[in-house]
Amino acid sequence: MNFLNPLLLLGVLGLSLPILAHLLNRHQVQRTDWAAMQFLNRSVRVRSRQLRLRDLLLLLMRCLALLLLVLALAKPFGGSDGNALAAMGENRAGVVIAIDASCSMQHSDGKETRFERALAKADVIARSIRPGDPVSVVLLGSEHRVITRNTMFDPAAFSELLSGQVATAESLDLDSVPRFLGNLTAELAVPQREIYIISDMGEQAWQSRYDFLKTSFRDLAAGASVMMVPIDGGTENLGVTSLELISGVLRKDTTARYRATIRNYGEQEVKNVRVSGLMNDINVDSKMIPSIAPGASESVSLFIPFRDPGAVRIAASIEADSLVADNTRRAVAVIRDKVSVLCVDGDAAGAASSQLIAAALQAHRGISGDEDLAVQSVSWTELPAQDLDGFDLVVLADVPDITVEQAQVFENYVRKGRGLIWFGGERIKANVWNERSQRGDGASLLPAVIEEAVETTDSMGVGRPLDPSLTHHPACRSLGALPEDLLSEARFHKVLQVKPAPTSTRVLTLAGSDTPVLLTHSLGRGQVFMFTTSAGAVWNNMAVTPIFPLLLQQMVTYLTAREYETPQTVGDSLTLTYTDQPGTNDAVFESPSGELISVPVSEYRNRYVAMLNNAREAGFYQARVNPQAPGTPIAVNVDTNESAVKGLSSDVTTQILAGTNVRVASTDDGLLEAIQEGRTVRSLWPLFMMAGIVFLVGEGLFAGFLSRRRSI
Amino acid sequence: MDHSQQTSYLKPELLQKLDDLELVAREVVEGLRVGSHRSPLRGFSTEFAHHRQYVPGDAIKNIDWRVFGRTERYFTKLYEAETNYDCYLLMDGSASMTYGSNKVSKLEYAKFLAASLAYIALKQRDSVGLSIFDSAVRAHLPPRSSMSVILQIDRLLKQISSEPKNTIAKQLRDTAMMIKRRSFVVVISDFLTNIDDVLLGLDNLRFSGHNVVVLHTLDPYELEFPFKGAWQFDGLENETQLTTQPERIREDYLTNLNTYLDAFSEGCAGAGIDYTLIDTSRPLDTVLSEFFHERESMSLGQAGGARV
Repeated sequence: MNFLNPLLLLGVLGLSLPILAHLLNRHQVQRTDWAAMQFLNRSVRVRSRQLRLRDLLLLLMRCLALLLLVLALAKPFGGSDGNALAAMGENRAGVVIAIDASCSMQHSDGKETRFERALAKADVIARSIRPGDPVSVVLLGSEHRVITRNTMFDPAAFSELLSGQVATAESLDLDSVPRFLGNLTAELAVPQREIYIISDMGEQAWQSRYDFLKTSFRDLAAGASVMMVPIDGGTENLGVTSLELISGVLRKDTTARYRATIRNYGEQEVKNVRVSGLMNDINVDSKMIPSIAPGASESVSLFIPFRDPGAVRIAASIEADSLVADNTRRAVAVIRDKVSVLCVDGDAAGAASSQLIAAALQAHRGISGDEDLAVQSVSWTELPAQDLDGFDLVVLADVPDITVEQAQVFENYVRKGRGLIWFGGERIKANVWNERSQRGDGASLLPAVIEEAVETTDSMGVGRPLDPSLTHHPACRSLGALPEDLLSEARFHKVLQVKPAPTSTRVLTLAGSDTPVLLTHSLGRGQVFMFTTSAGAVWNNMAVTPIFPLLLQQMVTYLTAREYETPQTVGDSLTLTYTDQPGTNDAVFESPSGELISVPVSEYRNRYVAMLNNAREAGFYQARVNPQAPGTPIAVNVDTNESAVKGLSSDVTTQILAGTNVRVASTDDGLLEAIQEGRTVRSLWPLFMMAGIVFLVGEGLFAGFLSRRRSI
Repeated sequence: MDHSQQTSYLKPELLQKLDDLELVAREVVEGLRVGSHRSPLRGFSTEFAHHRQYVPGDAIKNIDWRVFGRTERYFTKLYEAETNYDCYLLMDGSASMTYGSNKVSKLEYAKFLAASLAYIALKQRDSVGLSIFDSAVRAHLPPRSSMSVILQIDRLLKQISSEPKNTIAKQLRDTAMMIKRRSFVVVISDFLTNIDDVLLGLDNLRFSGHNVVVLHTLDPYELEFPFKGAWQFDGLENETQLTTQPERIREDYLTNLNTYLDAFSEGCAGAGIDYTLIDTSRPLDTVLSEFFHERESMSLGQAGGARV
């Protein structure tokens, strides 16, 4: 016999109290000479002995009752195959039911979703739970939600609790499941703990973690009886896996090209997939994909026209299938009326670089003919007189040096969320830039330390092209659409050798080497792009190739974009950043389902931020600085991993978990049978408690009976 | 007459402080105003009291022939008791008499009681004899009419060692044999022995023709058994000790006691013995007053019956 609360056995020391009282009574005997002993005759003496015996009996009963109650409180338990006492115990267990409520559980076979079938399995498990046993139920997702924690089981309340649950759009954080369930199980003060994990067991998620999960579940099964309950389901599903801005400047009266990618996660070919492009819920473009092979992805271009400035909701959607949640991919674009660029040229006289830059930026003009991108070019000598607040972006082209004050001004400018593009050139004084752009705390205005200019021509005197394997940085996304021969037209003869900072990212490099051509890093809310080559034609011919306008315009779009334009995934945190101290203490996030969530505004690194942790729904959230203010849309998409709906079969699951003591039950009967087989530990505390109470009541009744008998 | 209203009670504890038994007796008896009472010790006097109609069994010598001559009816002459009779005080000096829940033991109380009775008798110019017994008769004084008897009581009690008594009949029989003439015998004891043995002893006295009065002295604790908690009772007469919780056996004890008292009083009544139970916590003068008052009532009742 073991005890759940062995420390409570110290309560046995309490037995000494009645015994001590009894002994003290005996030792406090007073003596007297007595003449009338004849009246204390034999019958009285016999009665006195009887009384002593009864006292001892009552004491014994009292001690026994106390002992039994202490034992009951210590929660004894034993195996049913043990002694007869253990066999008399009750077959009770504390149960943790973990139901996968991730997005893939919304997959439907036409009649009911996987989640609904999972709830039905939970009902089957509930049939084996005795009222009063501790039960915890947790919905698994990116953040696991405990809907009832260590509560006494009540069948009606349990059924009502489950009936109100729905699957979420979250992904499943499988890695944290074993530890989370272990902690939850440890709270159950019962001799036998059982964990039931009801999940569709996504093949993709499990396959990549076999070893980890096997080890984790083995550890989990060491402290509890663990049973996997797989939920079968179909494998067919189409999902929109991405929606990216490919080209376009996101300004009024322009059209941007978005690329929507649709993947066939099923095992059968899908034909005639219609993809709709939506802007503010209005269908503005539609494409048909003739066929998507099993496991393949197909992309279509969706052209989204922008008529008015402001934030717009963009979505790519396919027709409903077995999993609706991944049929739409969303993005937000902020359409600007006009973008102002200040171009500072290091050449005080010619301003050749700035002209090339202005030409590249203004290669696109609005339909109305108005300049939607204004470029003001100035000589670097005029820089101190410029007020930067009127510009969305500053380009420094071959500027020889700056003062410490100017470096500070630029840093503050970028930290506010603006952009800075830096070009190298012959005039650059590397030492001055390195010294003055560097700050005391190690942060620097530029993403790299400038060293010396180096030749990058080959023996034939031909410059080196860009590395065709482009990075996934949004700035070079438009270059990806260019043919490789066009990309290789740009040749670089000379670049500044740099030592990139640890926080920097290489956007473009030269082919055949890791010499960076374009680097970037974040500074506050803004970004700094650094070209190690010149903007003019002295060190390269980039300015006369299509690369230059495509790259510059994409960079302008990227640098002038707002942080909320970046689509988020369900489970991510959503932030609303204030430029100044807000007038209210709380911001309001309105979920796609219309729920208003109030979030406090807190100060973080001289910025005021409202952060909504764990966006639970897929769709467009609206962030408002106060309930009456206009909302800023934030796109939230489902995790594409959840689109892979194919789950592990029971047999495969059994094989995977072999040796972990985790059992697998797929059918209802098999589940009930496995529960009964596994429930081997008997709880003895009710037995002890009952016996203790019986002895206590018996002692009271016996004492009362004796008392009445004497008084008759 | 209610003496309790007029007598300042002489509590046993107070008498104990006097240390002079004659003084104790005088204090007690003077307080009683015993002179105002008709002598309750009636039977052998020649002083005429009144007539009553003759009934078979009356002594022929007591028939008043003069009255018969005048009325031709038989009347028996009844006489007031004279005071010059022999009064024997039989005192139990055994170990059980040494028990006292208060400052005054039963033995001391009995001593005061005997001294007071002796004082009354001596004041009425009667003779008082004394016999003290425990397991045997330890002292015996023939009747005398001197106040020195009272002092002898004190002296003799100090001489004996209060041995335990197992029986009482033998001692009473031995005493009866020592009494030469029919006397008024007052037995003062707790009579804590077998009831049959007690009654047998008293019958011996009674059969010897004595007028026997039993003063049964018991301590209030013996009468009420008010102990609380755990007690060990050590028998004064060599009984086996008993450790118990008295309040739980009190009912049994009182049942036994009352059975004994009922049997004793009934046995005395059956044998023509005056029985009086005395609580040693009560004031002595009150006890004596009640005792004499009761005897006076009894004697008046008998006289009234004679007139019928």
